[in-house]
Amino acid sequence: MADGLFFLTAAAADSVRAYGEFPIIGARAAVWIAAEVHLMFAAFVLGVPMFAVVAEAIGIFGKEARYDRLAKEFTRLLLVAYSATAIWGAILVFFLATLYPRFWAYLTAVFAASMWVYAGLFFFESFTLYLYYYGWDRWKYGRAKLVHWTLGILLNVWGTIVMLIANSWLTYMMTPPRDITSTTDPSSIKLWHAIANATWMPINVHRLIANVVFGGAIVAAYASYRFLAAQNDEERAHYDWMGYVGNFIAISALIVLPFAGYWLGREVYQYDQSMGITMMGGFMSWLWVIQAFLIAVLFLAGNYYLWIGMGRIPGAERFRPYIKYLLTVLVLGAIVWGTPHTMIADSKELAAMGGSHHPLLGALGVMSAKNTAVNLMILTTFLSFLMYRRGNKELVVPWAETGTRIQTAMFVIAAGIVLFYGIRGYFVEAIVRIGFSVYQVLAVLSCILFVTVIDVLMARGAKSVGEIQWGKMPPRSQYALFILAVTFTWLMGLMGFARSGIRQYWHVWQVMEDTSKYAATPALGYASQMISLCVLIFLGLVAFVFWLGGLAEKSTFVSSGEGGGRHVGH
Amino acid sequence: MWATNLKVVGIVLGTLFVYTVICNKIPQMQSEVPQKLTLGPNATPEQLVAAGEKVFNGIGGCVACHGLGTRAPNLLTDEKGTGPIGQRCAKREPGKSCKQYLYESLDQPTAYVVAGYQPIMPQVTKLIPPDQVWAVIAFLESQGGTVDVTGADIQKAAPAGGGGAAAAGGGGGGGGGGFAHGSSDPKAIIKEAGCVNCHMLDGQGGALAPDLTHVGSRRDAQSIRQKIVDPGSSITKGFENLAGVMPKNFATMMSPAQLDALVQYLAGHK
Ligand code: HEC
Ligand code: HEC
Repeated sequence: MADGLFFLTAAAADSVRAYGEFPIIGARAAVWIAAEVHLMFAAFVLGVPMFAVVAEAIGIFGKEARYDRLAKEFTRLLLVAYSATAIWGAILVFFLATLYPRFWAYLTAVFAASMWVYAGLFFFESFTLYLYYYGWDRWKYGRAKLVHWTLGILLNVWGTIVMLIANSWLTYMMTPPRDITSTTDPSSIKLWHAIANATWMPINVHRLIANVVFGGAIVAAYASYRFLAAQNDEERAHYDWMGYVGNFIAISALIVLPFAGYWLGREVYQYDQSMGITMMGGFMSWLWVIQAFLIAVLFLAGNYYLWIGMGRIPGAERFRPYIKYLLTVLVLGAIVWGTPHTMIADSKELAAMGGSHHPLLGALGVMSAKNTAVNLMILTTFLSFLMYRRGNKELVVPWAETGTRIQTAMFVIAAGIVLFYGIRGYFVEAIVRIGFSVYQVLAVLSCILFVTVIDVLMARGAKSVGEIQWGKMPPRSQYALFILAVTFTWLMGLMGFARSGIRQYWHVWQVMEDTSKYAATPALGYASQMISLCVLIFLGLVAFVFWLGGLAEKSTFVSSGEGGGRHVGH
Repeated sequence: MWATNLKVVGIVLGTLFVYTVICNKIPQMQSEVPQKLTLGPNATPEQLVAAGEKVFNGIGGCVACHGLGTRAPNLLTDEKGTGPIGQRCAKREPGKSCKQYLYESLDQPTAYVVAGYQPIMPQVTKLIPPDQVWAVIAFLESQGGTVDVTGADIQKAAPAGGGGAAAAGGGGGGGGGGFAHGSSDPKAIIKEAGCVNCHMLDGQGGALAPDLTHVGSRRDAQSIRQKIVDPGSSITKGFENLAGVMPKNFATMMSPAQLDALVQYLAGHK
């Protein structure tokens, strides 16, 4: 079989045609859309099973039926999104093979074996998904339920491997191992050597986390739509809660994402300094300003949602006065984070600004300031969440006051450490400064960890001022969730452009040159139009797909009494 | 229900619209594919300067560092009171004309490192063809100085026979002897290659890079060879922020026998 395949690829490579043409929008835009929309669906169908399984586990082991229902609802969304993923994947392959035949032949020559495994696993994955969903009510109790849960885990295993394989292809394009040059015969490259390239692992981790964020955001948007459309209070309560859970998942995973991002960036720098500089300071420097802006929108919208959410928690009014301070920290942090370090400016702009050492950019644009800002924003978001949690609780443990003081102290110490190293960073060599960011991160993470532990212990037996009144949310909170989902999706498209764009005019960095008429990497303006278009296509399809899913289910939402648990129907 | 649907669609479209508009308002930079400029021997100074500006702002990648920020010295505007580059270039190194200094900056950036900066400037002569190098030099000269690059410089640089970076090094060495005049004396090779500009060896040399005096105890011959041939293959612990600084072209500069001699010599430094 391998021989046959090689023959095929060799034949394709020999043919004179290196590029095909696509009507109106052009070949690059066609592949761009197919790849991006495919990726968005793929991210969704990889992210959602992760928390479907966790939700099911909470349902089983925590005996909370509403989580089981939630898990099943997640999975139903998956089912329809799954075929969309496969269809867009097929479109992508078709486009690549016909519009970029020379490149496609190269890629298959290197990766053929893993492509077969990929296809096989995809099959297993679909099969497992069908069993998982359609077996839900059949295997509901006792040991059968555990077997069912195992299916969910298996689903994640397949999905993750599928993602790892796909990631190896695109990371190879960015950072092919250094001994591979333009003259290396692709069929002589050892598969594992090509897979385990410099950015493979960082991308794997980064995407794994980002998929959770993304899945959470889309689920939250779905829930908020259902909330707005809800016919009765019970439905409203359920979808309010579901939106809250989705948003919670998205924001918590978002908090760790920057660390994976730093790792990826460092690998890129180590692989090729000039690639790193192009990425951070070259023609893409503005991209990071936009990225910072989007992340600021995410932090603000996420916190805003939590703050409004306090309105449905009896007793949370106590914390309202603090919100303005949190908001100030977030806005300041966002501004600092958005200050670029080295900006590209052409000779005229430079002359107009009177030199390249801009005082503000110099002081706020460096890594020290940025790390400090983002760490403080994370601490602030965590604080918002703590207040939210504490909202309706009247603590009863005798050491409640001491505990709160310790928690406060921990926040102050963590913020102090972050600030201290942030300022010290200006006075030391770069090599020392890199080490500082590790201390900052450790301070923040340990603060989050210890404060949470104390909080959980302190909440033992706490008196409730009143139940959280799920469903009692003003509609504007739900619109915040929509903005979150759109922004996450857009951000993903933007980062995809960054990742793919730093290859510049190379299909495979410094190995295979792009000689098509689309070899130049477009500016951000054009890219933003493409990204918006992809997001629109994706969200449009998602809406359609969810609507389809809803058609089947609409009539089956039956009131389930006080427990709020059982999902009848299906 | 329709009102809700419309609101949702409105919010989605509005958000997308805002993001797209912002991205279209900022300066638009496209990353171009490097092109052959084909400047002949009779190119006028004006043509050279114009072409040089393009290279500088575009494919030369210079603005990545010499743009806004403190990573590299200002070239087009005043640098700490010494004027733009065309004004200060002749005063940098005694005995070197402006043209010579600028060529050296692009060909052997570590030969003279401007005080207060890290030696991260890449060897530009390896990245872009000779005519573009000379065009950029003409452009830099035009920033406050007089342009004395001519078509003749380009012609001299162009044919010299496959040697790439070494051949373009107008410094006159040449003479068929190859790198370090073909010498297999490791000390001569090290001197010629400029390892000690960055590295300390037997108590002499630069302090930027790891001291090589005992490198043989940390790495075997194979690993040293690998490091010279492909500096990106392994990065020394503690020097991660300098990854990519060590030049990547040593293996193409010297003959296999010279490389062997160099590796053996260093491996013997236990
Ligand atoms: C990776 C960052 C980087 C890039 C890319 C870069 N430079 Fe530099 N350049 C530096 C640094 C740092 C210095 C100062 C240290 C030194 O002299 O090596 C410098 C110094 C110089 C100098 C000497 C300045 C003086 O005051 O004497 C010239 C001339 C120069 N660069 C030209 C260029 C040109 C032309 C390009 C594009 C083809 C370029 N550089 C690309 C970082 C860079
Ligand atoms: C422009 C500065 C520069 C020049 C010139 C240079 N190096 Fe390096 N070299 C470095 C830096 C920086 C490192 C440490 C970072 C790294 O590992 O890449 C290094 C690391 C090394 C190491 C690894 C040392 C260890 O302890 O692991 C060896 C061996 C080495 N260089 C040999 C050479 C030789 C031989 C030459 C001359 C042919 C040379 N270098 C020229 C900058 C330079």
